[in-house]
Amino acid sequence: MYEKEKDLISAFLRGEVDRRGMLKGLGAAGLAAGTAGTLFNMVSTQALAADFDWKAHSGKSLKLLLNKHPYADAMIANLQAFKDLTGIEVTYDVFPEDVYFDKVTAALSSGSAEYDAFMTGAYMTWTYGPAGWITDLNEWIKDPTKTNPQYAWDDFLPGVKNSCAWNGQPGGALGSEDAKQWCIPWGYEQNNLSYNQEMFDKAGVAVPKNLDELSAAAAKLTKDVGGGVYGIGVRGSRSWATIHPGFLSGYANFGQKDLNVSADGKLSAAMNTAESKAFHTKWVSMIQESGPKDWSTYTWYQVGTDLGAGASAMIYDADILGYFMNGGDNKMAGKLAYAPFAANPAASAPTPNIWIWSLAMSNFAKDKDATWYFLQWASGLEHAIFGATKMDFVNPVRASVWKDEIFRERLNKSYPGYVEMHDISAPGAKIHFTAQPLFFDVTTEWAATLQKMVAKQVPVDEGLDQLVESIDRQLKEAGLG
Amino acid sequence: MASTATLRKPASGFRISRKMLPYVLSLPALLVCIGILIPFFTAVIYSFQRYRLSQPWARQFNWGENYLNFVTDPAFWNTLKVSLLYAGITVTLELLLGLGIALLLQRRSTINNFISIMLLLPLMIAPALAALMWKLMTNPSFGILSYLASLVGLHDFRWASSPDTALLTVVLVDIWVYTPFIMILLLAGLRSLPTQPFEAAALDGVPRSFVFFRITLPMLTPYILTATLFRLLDSIQQFDIIYAMTQGGPGNTLTVFQVEAYLNFFQSTNVGRSAALLIILWAITYTLSNVFIKNWLRLRERARGEA
Amino acid sequence: MDTTSPLERILRAVALTLVVVFFMFPIFWIFLMSFQTNETILSIPPSIVFSPTLSNYAALITGKLQTAAGTLDIAFMRNLGNSIFLSVTSVAVALVLGVPAAYAFARHKFKGSEDIAFTLLSFRFAPPLLVLLPLTQYFQWLGLSNTYFGLIWVYQLICLPLILWIVRGYFEDISADVEYAYRIAGHSWFATFRKIALPLAGPGIAAAGLLAFIFAWNNFVFALVLASADKQPVTVGALAFITSSGIQYGQIASAIVLSVTPTLALALYAQRYLVEGLSLGAVKG
Repeated sequence: MYEKEKDLISAFLRGEVDRRGMLKGLGAAGLAAGTAGTLFNMVSTQALAADFDWKAHSGKSLKLLLNKHPYADAMIANLQAFKDLTGIEVTYDVFPEDVYFDKVTAALSSGSAEYDAFMTGAYMTWTYGPAGWITDLNEWIKDPTKTNPQYAWDDFLPGVKNSCAWNGQPGGALGSEDAKQWCIPWGYEQNNLSYNQEMFDKAGVAVPKNLDELSAAAAKLTKDVGGGVYGIGVRGSRSWATIHPGFLSGYANFGQKDLNVSADGKLSAAMNTAESKAFHTKWVSMIQESGPKDWSTYTWYQVGTDLGAGASAMIYDADILGYFMNGGDNKMAGKLAYAPFAANPAASAPTPNIWIWSLAMSNFAKDKDATWYFLQWASGLEHAIFGATKMDFVNPVRASVWKDEIFRERLNKSYPGYVEMHDISAPGAKIHFTAQPLFFDVTTEWAATLQKMVAKQVPVDEGLDQLVESIDRQLKEAGLG
Repeated sequence: MASTATLRKPASGFRISRKMLPYVLSLPALLVCIGILIPFFTAVIYSFQRYRLSQPWARQFNWGENYLNFVTDPAFWNTLKVSLLYAGITVTLELLLGLGIALLLQRRSTINNFISIMLLLPLMIAPALAALMWKLMTNPSFGILSYLASLVGLHDFRWASSPDTALLTVVLVDIWVYTPFIMILLLAGLRSLPTQPFEAAALDGVPRSFVFFRITLPMLTPYILTATLFRLLDSIQQFDIIYAMTQGGPGNTLTVFQVEAYLNFFQSTNVGRSAALLIILWAITYTLSNVFIKNWLRLRERARGEA
Repeated sequence: MDTTSPLERILRAVALTLVVVFFMFPIFWIFLMSFQTNETILSIPPSIVFSPTLSNYAALITGKLQTAAGTLDIAFMRNLGNSIFLSVTSVAVALVLGVPAAYAFARHKFKGSEDIAFTLLSFRFAPPLLVLLPLTQYFQWLGLSNTYFGLIWVYQLICLPLILWIVRGYFEDISADVEYAYRIAGHSWFATFRKIALPLAGPGIAAAGLLAFIFAWNNFVFALVLASADKQPVTVGALAFITSSGIQYGQIASAIVLSVTPTLALALYAQRYLVEGLSLGAVKG
């Protein structure tokens, strides 16, 4: 029964038929979508199992620490497939995003063996790695006896993959030869423009192409849309989260850096160059003129809420924030559009800084080999396709998912312009920060300085000089400067 | 008096010597809490170390360096100033307001009793969630309070997002959450005051202001001291409301001790600095409590002497 | 006391009204929000007119949250159960330990009594953050991490000093003469404590117990750090509605309403002790 169909699916899995061809073939064979799905899972499980002993750790159990996030939701929805495939029992603790990293720090700093693997961001591994809380995953990735031959580590987008790899030296280049793979990328966010098409039409504004145009467009939108709508939403709270999205993406596009690394590996602050001062000046006046009134309290949530509820016309922030706001019970659902953004008119392409939700292995894990089984399954192609086509697992980190016709079609249908935006900005997408353990000190103080500039408590030039002085002192104090 | 208590044998139970009794009564409480002293001393040790979780190899005793660094660190002095200012303003206002409300509700009636319980509601909401709701209510687009403010002409009032009004806004939320704490303690105190002095004063036609300042207030002072002490201890350690509303911003407007220590610990993982900050905070609360308790005991002694 | 002039009565009424409006308006607004969808909550400008929905409560109580991406499980009712269990047990333990100790400090001046009392108070000085890292480590060695027992122990830091010092004040206000008289009549100290001292200090014990309950209820850092997801209180649970795809204000509002209900019920029950009080005039020194 279903032999022909199984052959077709196997052909797909071998890469001989594309996904669309396979589904068409299955449809022609008169298979209901549900049956096709079941069949697909069955055969793909067999395919995964073909050259690799997935049952090697059968009977063991793992515990995960997860953030309440659509990525975690998608994984949980598919978790039974992993249990069936490996015979490993998996339990998990989900904590709210608001307190998630506090929980991670508390669990790891006490050396707790409770959790074997957990979700993290790449920036956090700059602390966790040197602290000895997480494991270099190269040991497993590069071991053919422990990693299934179809895992295709090369399939991961290079900018994203390398952003999770660091040699542990303060200032060491991400993705260098001697880098340790502290975590496996899972899903990621680029920072680009998400905007309200209706409001753009109403105010007669074209999609801005650089920072000056962005400022001008934001000002015009603030003036002409009416109803208290403001032009540009960006984050502004006293936190690292204010620096890393649109702000650093634009900053990096002008070739500016957070820190300088000298030949002998010493770090020093680099925010008071003439170009940096010019960028800061434009950014600050853009917020003053067309940003949210209570910008200094703006986090991810307020930026998104305002766009979704029609209080703002545009955001320069994570693309998936714009993605989320185009669905659900948001008032503006279905009215949003997307565009890649290069702040520097002289730049050839956008250089978005990225946030990467990743999976890391605790150094205190009870059974690291079994834990790796989970990590490679959760970051494998099968699960990525499942998440991207059936759940909100966007943006996927594997090139082959972005080539998947069904995924592209699904995005094009409900999120016009999203795929194109991704394709244009993905080549330049990576972490543009300098990897070093004082990341949070530097960015928090940077955000506080921006707040002072926007509130006109300090002029931009002076503020940046003070910031550089203070950061340099802290770097020296920590033995890095 | 002690001898009169042993005139007759008690009816039941085994006997504990009179001398031992208070120890037997108080030691369990002490024993339960004493366990916490061990982590406390561990934290004191951390504060004398160069201890960043992200640089485990560099961990070593640097003795007073964490503390010495504070002397030249303007951020620390700002923290000290803001913390004391915040605690001073909130506790003073809450005390006045709480006392006022308690006096308004002093009379025993069903409606007063009901109101006094309903006024406890703000206290029952976790401060972090209360702050989240206040943040929504003061949002310029969706916030009812911003809307109401605009109706009376305050179109550009920026609540927690402007350095000029951020302190005012968090103080307002603090007052909303914690005034009921003082109110209920003082109300219970007021209602347990003896009635004779007031009846006598009323018979003699003593002016009401005189009654309040010379009878009510002195008799209420022990309650005021306890309520203020607990409020002060919490207020100088305030975290939830400030962090949820502004994360310590804008700029460094609201970087109180706990916010600084939290960021140092959880984000920078600079355990040494975080512990040193908190030890200083502990020393401040210790000193303040000492002053309060001394006064409290003196008042108690005097009250007993007069009786 | 009925000497108030009409003018004063009006002023008092106005003042009381202002107080009630200030403290109750946000509560009222949260209550309204709990019957609204996120879309109506986030309307510009805010509006008081809306068609009420029970969907927020339904999601919390059934534990199924409908989102654009499908149905998600939420554990709010379990969080609520944890909060009730942790707060009730902690306050009960604190009362059993704290009230006798408070009585001892109030009635007996013994060697080191003030030192012990102050030490007990000083546990309240230590910011939780200070002891958090060592505490998690020691709890792990002792096998207490992720146990209700361990949490209830740590919660004593919140409850015990409060109960001890507030109740002590009340005991000190009660004249010792009545107790002596009762003891001379041949009753044990325990009978005296139970029949005379406890009832007289009733309002204080009720007030302290209720406040300790509220503070235990509102705490979340201890459970967050020391226990896994299945033992988290409602304060942590409610934060789950701050999701990366948006803040679910309606659900947070209904979570607040649900989480306040047990405390409010307790307060209304304790009211007769709390604010009725006892006329202590007759027995005061």
